[in-house]
Amino acid sequence: MTQPLLELHNLNKSYGTFEAVKDIDLSVDAGEFLAIMGPSGCGKTTTLRMMAGLEDPTRGDIRLEGQQINDLPVWQRETPLVWQNLALFPYMTVRENVEFGLRMKKVPAPERQRRCAEWLERLGIAGFADRNVAKLSGGQRQRVALARSLVLQPKVLLLDEPLSALDAHMSIRMQGELKRLQRELGITFVYVTHSHSEAFSLADRVVIMNTGRIEQLGTPQDIFLRPRSRFVAQFVGGISLFSGMLKTTKEGNIGIDSADGLLQIADPASAQGGTRCDLAVRADRINVTTQPGWGTNEVPCVLMSEEFAGAVVNLHLETAAGTGIVAQLQQRDLERLSARAGQQVYASWHPEDGVLLGAPALKAVA
Amino acid sequence: MSVLSAKLRLRRRGWFALWAAPLPVWFALFFLGPMLLLIAMSFWSVQNYRLTPDFSLSAWSYVLSLDFLWSSFWRSYGLSLLSAVLVSLLAFPASYAMAFLISPARRLTFLGLALAPFFTSYLVRIYSLQVFLGEGGVLPQMFHSIGLSGASLLNSYTALFLGHATLTLPVVLVLQTLALGNVDRTEMSAAVNLGARPLQVLRHIILPAARPGLSLGVLFAFLLSYAEFVSATYLGGGVFQTLPILLTDLIRGGQQWPRAAVVSLLMMAVLLLTSLVTVAWAYRQKGN
Amino acid sequence: MNRHLKHALPAWVWFTGLMLVFVILYAPILSALVFSFSADRFPSLDITRFSTKWYAQVFADARVLEALKNSLTIALSTALVATTLGFAAAYADFRFRFFGQRMVLALALLPPTVPIVVLSLAMLAFFSRIGLSGTVGSIIVAHVVVATPFAMAICRLRLEQMPPEYETAAQNLGATPGQALRLIVLPHAAPAIGAAALITFAVSLDEYAIAWFVGGLEQTVPVTVLNTLQGQVDPTIHVIGTLAFAATLSLVFAAQLLLLRSTKSHKNKEVSP
Repeated sequence: MTQPLLELHNLNKSYGTFEAVKDIDLSVDAGEFLAIMGPSGCGKTTTLRMMAGLEDPTRGDIRLEGQQINDLPVWQRETPLVWQNLALFPYMTVRENVEFGLRMKKVPAPERQRRCAEWLERLGIAGFADRNVAKLSGGQRQRVALARSLVLQPKVLLLDEPLSALDAHMSIRMQGELKRLQRELGITFVYVTHSHSEAFSLADRVVIMNTGRIEQLGTPQDIFLRPRSRFVAQFVGGISLFSGMLKTTKEGNIGIDSADGLLQIADPASAQGGTRCDLAVRADRINVTTQPGWGTNEVPCVLMSEEFAGAVVNLHLETAAGTGIVAQLQQRDLERLSARAGQQVYASWHPEDGVLLGAPALKAVA
Repeated sequence: MSVLSAKLRLRRRGWFALWAAPLPVWFALFFLGPMLLLIAMSFWSVQNYRLTPDFSLSAWSYVLSLDFLWSSFWRSYGLSLLSAVLVSLLAFPASYAMAFLISPARRLTFLGLALAPFFTSYLVRIYSLQVFLGEGGVLPQMFHSIGLSGASLLNSYTALFLGHATLTLPVVLVLQTLALGNVDRTEMSAAVNLGARPLQVLRHIILPAARPGLSLGVLFAFLLSYAEFVSATYLGGGVFQTLPILLTDLIRGGQQWPRAAVVSLLMMAVLLLTSLVTVAWAYRQKGN
Repeated sequence: MNRHLKHALPAWVWFTGLMLVFVILYAPILSALVFSFSADRFPSLDITRFSTKWYAQVFADARVLEALKNSLTIALSTALVATTLGFAAAYADFRFRFFGQRMVLALALLPPTVPIVVLSLAMLAFFSRIGLSGTVGSIIVAHVVVATPFAMAICRLRLEQMPPEYETAAQNLGATPGQALRLIVLPHAAPAIGAAALITFAVSLDEYAIAWFVGGLEQTVPVTVLNTLQGQVDPTIHVIGTLAFAATLSLVFAAQLLLLRSTKSHKNKEVSP
């Protein structure tokens, strides 16, 4: 097995009695695009800052290519960071910003200029080289920040919500460029974000953090299809959750006995009868009908509201027991349904579309 | 427990101390040192005209039993409070104009002009006032020419108040203008929208919102006036025997160090108490 | 102010108040200027003749020149030390989180709240006990205490306008703490450091109580003014006053200009497209 590029071992960070990061174990391979995601205050940025040496771990190890780097001061780390607010130096031109790191490393002038020019060219900002960074657009500033870090030819690039300052349109364009850049360069990106779309569309693997711990680590598909906890399911969104006791019926079917009735599941391989379980069903797997009798798992509910999201519509339903259900429909399906808010409808899904949380042995249902 | 190596930690401490230490060290030696000495000195005794370290309460009991000390204490306090309130009232229309009637860009220029005199020769400004108000000065001459008494205006409370205003106006103007400038314009619009008339907006929205800043203005005017001795001496003409005058007299009159120290500490205690009460009142919130 | 917000009193009332205040503030300054050029010994409204003889007299007065030399020495040294201390403390407060930080901040801002008479008294007692009273050095040491809070406040406010990431970003790109300070923080703080030097210089140049108590025979310009106040009418005081006003006002205005311009350029940078 090859050596991971960056490893965190049992990493902890506390501020007084507040534990920001708890027992993080993580290894990142060379050339991998890893996204760390979670709600604000979950410890994702602290973790990233510890990688860069901006925070000292309270406990634990950080290793780069097998070497422990805990004691290496920030300025000797070679883990450049793209900052959330970019932190471009306002008293310098674009060129001076990009050359800054090379200057600090005492790279001789000819090489420095060559490398700077190469990166300005590569990121399409050569035309602004002598402009003050304050006079650039958001996208251009973003490129300067990238060039400033990449010109150092790091093995790993750290990015802290780098696109959050851009508008939606620009952000999507930059996502594409980031992904292309990472593929071409073949270097490791560690990318902190709170945006699902960024994490899921960019990363090879995604880490979901909550209250300082890793909740789940996996490919975007893994996490989307098999959330391991209620937290991940809720955080990823578009998932309805039911909870109840695991139970086998007289007919030999297995399901959970929830407040909304018995909800069957397809393959409870590892689950024990009588344990309390959470069942997750993705919004696009739920059918909504005005008449009952369409599926195995069928729950009568009231249509609360419709939320338009482009080509699809999210319907928010509520069962008699008060469980919230979200179902995703195509526009034309909604028209066919012709239901109004307040109306009685039926939500149904196939047993194989229900996923038991915290049961990794379940097979993929993709 | 940090996992940092000792060498790295030492280097960081050194860098930190390089910036963090100089001011506290200087102030501990040359500010806290003298102030603590003052406290200690109030317990020392004077034997054969020589100051001797001691633990004696004689200076305290002597000073506290002086009737004229208490009268000059209350006079100082009352006069300074009166000056502070009057200066605040005098400054208010000007601050209001700067905060609401002048564009923000020009406001800074006006504030700069208002603050600048605070840093320029206070003594000479007091001298100018002396010339203005004294026998045959500009103001008495003007009064005389319109048929009023042309007598000197010095050695009066008016003169003393003008002296205090000369000292405290800049600070009061700045504090008031900043306080008024920070009043939320949306709240004012909301009040108008709910039917408040201009005077009601001033009373129920502007003044309560600006209260901390306005009270700080009164407080600072009070602190400065209370500690001031130049106006009291040269404009008030010593008619008002205030604590600072008493203090300078004690020192110049001979080796009365312990007594002077006691008077100083009393002054400090009064100022501290007044400040605490004012600040607590200024930042008091309605409801809990 | 928006059109719908009417003022409780008509605008001219407020503006009259504004004018009155500025008259009270600046009339004494202007009168010193006017009377300094009057040939009359006693200042009065009907000035008979223009003259610069009092200026000649001041500049021929060895006592005043000696005091001026003292004042400048003291103000220059104070500005240098106070600005250094003030910037260091402001930077430490901005950059680091440490135990007792609020206490240090409170200590740094405390001296201006102590009555100047009390402070002078304490300084005199202190310096005579360590055998330093009556020296120019003791005045400098005491003036640094009085002036540093201003320097610290000015520098701290300016640093506040700089996102702390700038400096860490420089370190992240390989700059040592020293390089980051020199290349990133100092260019940003430069206007404030300049302003702090000007203000502390002005504060020291103007300070009379401590200089009077502690200085002994070493007189500064304000102390000679104070001594003149106690004596006869002396027209030269108008000359000294005019020069003092010219000096301190230009220092203070220069400082304000520096700060104002740096704040403006800062704002422009924030609203980048």
